[in-house]
Amino acid sequence: MIYLFQVLNGIGLGMLYFLLAVGLSVIFGLLQFVNFAHGAFYLLGAYLTYDLTMRGFSFWLAMPLATLAVAGIAALIEVVLLHRIYKLPHTFHILVTVGLALIVQELVIIAWGPLGGSVPAPAGLQGVFIMGDFIYPQYRLFTIAFTAVLAGLLWWLLEGTRLGAIVRGGSESPANMALLGYNTLRINTAVFGFGAGLAGLAGALAAPIRGVEPFMGVEALSVAFVVVVIGGMGSYTGALVAGLLVGVVQSVMTTLWPEGARLMIYVGMALVIALMPRGLLGRA
Amino acid sequence: MINRRRFLTTSTLAAASLAAPGLVSRALAQSEALKIGVPVPISGAFAANGKFATIGAVLAAEEVAAAHGIEVSTLDLDTEGKPATAVRKVQDALAQDGVKLFAGGILSSESLAMGKEVERGGGAFMTTAGADEITGVDCNKATFRWSVPTYGAINETVRPIIDALPDARKWYTITPQYVFGDGLLNAAKAVFEEKGIEHVGNSYHSLTDKEFSGYLTNAIAAQPDVLLVLNFGAQSSDTLRQAVSFGLKQRMTIVVAWASGLEQFEALGPDICEGVYFGAQYWHGADTELNRQLVAKVQEKHGFNPNYSFAGSYILSKLLLEAAVKAGSPDGAGVAEALRGLKYQGLTGEEEIRAADHQVIKDYYLLKGKARADMADKDDYAEIISSGKSFLSPEEAGCKMPA
Repeated sequence: MIYLFQVLNGIGLGMLYFLLAVGLSVIFGLLQFVNFAHGAFYLLGAYLTYDLTMRGFSFWLAMPLATLAVAGIAALIEVVLLHRIYKLPHTFHILVTVGLALIVQELVIIAWGPLGGSVPAPAGLQGVFIMGDFIYPQYRLFTIAFTAVLAGLLWWLLEGTRLGAIVRGGSESPANMALLGYNTLRINTAVFGFGAGLAGLAGALAAPIRGVEPFMGVEALSVAFVVVVIGGMGSYTGALVAGLLVGVVQSVMTTLWPEGARLMIYVGMALVIALMPRGLLGRA
Repeated sequence: MINRRRFLTTSTLAAASLAAPGLVSRALAQSEALKIGVPVPISGAFAANGKFATIGAVLAAEEVAAAHGIEVSTLDLDTEGKPATAVRKVQDALAQDGVKLFAGGILSSESLAMGKEVERGGGAFMTTAGADEITGVDCNKATFRWSVPTYGAINETVRPIIDALPDARKWYTITPQYVFGDGLLNAAKAVFEEKGIEHVGNSYHSLTDKEFSGYLTNAIAAQPDVLLVLNFGAQSSDTLRQAVSFGLKQRMTIVVAWASGLEQFEALGPDICEGVYFGAQYWHGADTELNRQLVAKVQEKHGFNPNYSFAGSYILSKLLLEAAVKAGSPDGAGVAEALRGLKYQGLTGEEEIRAADHQVIKDYYLLKGKARADMADKDDYAEIISSGKSFLSPEEAGCKMPA
């Protein structure tokens, strides 16, 4: 029975990991851009939610405001800085985005201090769901449902709309999209802001679960990369499958081999790299 | 850039009149300077602790400079919480900066490694890290420890709670898998065995874990009366925050054996801390002379109450610097000689540096989180339930101090 509980818990974790990773995957898929600042946008989303709720805003208002603010900040950074380095080798992407992540992290410390803080779960979701011996926080159940709905919407947006077709087209062949008259610079900015906004949303959703602290972005980035590498760089479905897989493996391993639970997600990543270098659902 | 070393010049020469001649034994000339290294994690998961520690060391340096009319500076060494990095930073400070005094090492693993390195380099090292080995089987001539080790922390938290809650017979532990966690776990198991408590399970986790829901699911399945949290810093905050969200506060008593003090309460907030028991090395509300002075000074200078990271670093630095002044040199042998057997009025009341193993004998506190409505001010998060001194003898701890 404990394993069933751990699988259920792992699905909850996995949905959060998916949300964290999907933006990174979309950005890489379209822009071929390795964004090491992704964790910083997650951090920013969490702290903006924390700040707004501390100022008396409802969580339901703070969450979308923080998401939009992160998306806006990311789009601005893309316009001012990042689009200039897209054509440079990946080492430049890493250098600039790691620097950006450190700047954001230090700005967070300056603005909110080195100590973390707690964000209360919204009213109505502060209790627990009890099913026999299984106890699960209502807020975590909400994040599972919310992320599942969001995953469906994202799939529809990317696969079933004209906008999604443009994004996928940009991913497959930016040059052809430009020849067809699309403003690829604007598409790039929108996609980068959208991907970062998803990281901000993940941060906002995670804040009542994890609280906030200035170094939470580093851990989030490492998990996001594990999910993206396992799922396949640029694959939306891969991010979903890998997010769930990582969450379930981590959770089940806390019962089977607790001290190695976290290690196992990296072992899983190493195995996928060795056996399927493009990831589970990565494109050739 | 956070991964950096930087000098914080803390004070120039103080007015000569401040140093009352004849009242202190001072062999250092006024033109001489003292330099103290502060090896603490300034980046990584324990960075919040390290950042307060660096400010605490600066205050101690300023006080010693003013009291003795000498120049004192601090050198921040970012250990990142990693033993290998800590050792490398200490080696550099010894060889390149001529630093002999080191106050820091928040994590046991890094402190054990640094203590050996400082001994080799002929310096003196004082730490707040918890593993029994530091002043036990791995004790050495250069290493001193202010904080109560894991044995005392468990005995001053677990024992009083067992006595207060006689019906709570089943305990579950969550433990970080490194020397500090194992020290707490072994001490807890010994108390459980002695008191006839059923240890219904333990979950080990790594030092990088942030997600504890799986471990909490294990704990729930074991149906304990008490959840004993044996990790530290941000990890114990994450564990507690997630435990409360799983509704465990309503189902069992929660005990955090080694809280990081006020900074942890601030990060968690009163709603999470209410009713939870915390073991603590230091509490700003402790009613002692030196603590009252420190609280007043820090309030005046920084506008906040000192937390454990700040206070621990302050007292380590102050003890080392005063010992160097007394010895007339920062060289390890003289400083160690000045520290051994020293009795003084410390932050927790009467404190003594035991000569045989270099362990400071001091109080450890058991706190209980207050309800928001009961807080007298914004930092009045907890009441002191009990305090006391529990230590293994140097022989029991296994210390064979090298000659």
